[in-house]
Amino acid sequence: MRIKLTSIMVDDQNRALKFYTEVLGFQKKRDIPVGEYKWLTVVSPEGPGDLELVLEPNANPAGKAFQKAMFEQGIPLAALETSDLKAEFARLKALGVTFTQGPTKRGPVTIAVLSDTCGNLLQLYQPG
Amino acid sequence: MVLTRDVLARLCRARDLLCEEHAPSVGEVAKHVDISPFHFIRQFEAVFGVTPRQFRIGSRIQRARRLLVVSTLSVTDVCMEVGFSSLGSFSDTFVRRVGTRPSEYRRRARAMIQDPGRVPHALEPGCLSLMALLPESGFAISEKRE
Repeated sequence: MRIKLTSIMVDDQNRALKFYTEVLGFQKKRDIPVGEYKWLTVVSPEGPGDLELVLEPNANPAGKAFQKAMFEQGIPLAALETSDLKAEFARLKALGVTFTQGPTKRGPVTIAVLSDTCGNLLQLYQPG
Repeated sequence: MVLTRDVLARLCRARDLLCEEHAPSVGEVAKHVDISPFHFIRQFEAVFGVTPRQFRIGSRIQRARRLLVVSTLSVTDVCMEVGFSSLGSFSDTFVRRVGTRPSEYRRRARAMIQDPGRVPHALEPGCLSLMALLPESGFAISEKRE
């Protein structure tokens, strides 16, 4: 058994693809039409290339309620690691990304929280 | 931009107001959450990826989709119910956002209904269930195990 796919629900798959590739810097891996939605995944150029993040259509009312509640409480739905949070924060801010928390030391990590413009908060973290 | 917790909460409240059946105007919503219209539109778009007006239209179309599937209202009644004042404008917006005319959407969606009164699962997929609908070739490029 392997951990191969993880997912995040997004309000709009086209907008999500743009944000996750052009802003965050991930690479599109699969884009397969399925009915009125798509099976859409991205991978990190820093690897591993076989660990895919599915950008799931947030079409199910239960998913919407969950996503909304987490967002309103300021709780991120995914955490992304970086080796230089300060530089990443500056780069993303320059691209117009909105943060709800700037780089902050929290225990063993430094974290920042941003909006993915598709209904989620994402936590960036740098260990150490 | 780094938003405070308070501003984020106000933007979330604004999003709720814009989803309401008889949503107030964007200006009224801005006033309600006590943010100037200029900053409200800018901050809302920065956080949610669309302007408040686009969000409200999206919310109406979303409601229309559901009504077209589960209700017996005519397309005109659905149009009025979700807050459009003109059928032409409703149909054009629906086509732009959904890719098909409301009547065609209703016809196709209803053909999928298995449980009367409920939206077909294929229209409201959840939690990776789309995977089951992929063609056989969907994972053909999947990496070979080493």
